[in-house]
Amino acid sequence: MPITSLLDEMLWDIRAFVYQHLADTTHAPSVDETATRFALTHEQTVSAYQALHERHAFFLNPGTHEILIANPFSGIETSFRVHANGKTYFANCAWDSLGIPAALHCDADIEAACSQSNESIALQVRDGGISESDVLIHFLVPFKHWYDDLVFT
Amino acid sequence: MLFFRSEADLAAWLQTKNYAHGATLTVSQLWELSQRWYQDRMDVEYHGRSMEQVGELFREAGLNSDFWK
Repeated sequence: MPITSLLDEMLWDIRAFVYQHLADTTHAPSVDETATRFALTHEQTVSAYQALHERHAFFLNPGTHEILIANPFSGIETSFRVHANGKTYFANCAWDSLGIPAALHCDADIEAACSQSNESIALQVRDGGISESDVLIHFLVPFKHWYDDLVFT
Repeated sequence: MLFFRSEADLAAWLQTKNYAHGATLTVSQLWELSQRWYQDRMDVEYHGRSMEQVGELFREAGLNSDFWK
């Protein structure tokens, strides 16, 4: 079987591995960690990461092969912290900070700040519900432009 | 997507940044949307959504304005 067909078959398994690795460790797997898991070469895994990036399965840091965003998880530390399952995850934005307990189906303590006043914001997810709060979440970019510049969105 | 303690904080932030207002959700609205959007994200079978599926999801979450289309 040609390697391109083999990679196509593996793509979504690789995506699932990346997400489970993030859930288990809070970190995105490196190209070499994923290559080892699937017995691929470094170059084959780079191709797979690029293909998944192009399909919006996750997003690479520009100019690198490092996973920057696998919504709702962030591949790097951010100011949106989610404490859940005995770990601290980093979310990409306010929405994704709620998205992590929604994706993991778990309780969570969300720690963030008001973007204007820098006053701390704490939310709790318990048994499928979220704590009452007067906090607002603002979406700046209309949906049709979300993927024009995902980091800005 | 950012958190704000109040409408006044949001208005001040928009003025400082010279941005137009987009859409504002409450925490409970965002939790409703998050559960619909992310509930299957860890599934091996999740391969993304079509634009039609996204539109339906927004409608089910009560988000019907042009901002969500």
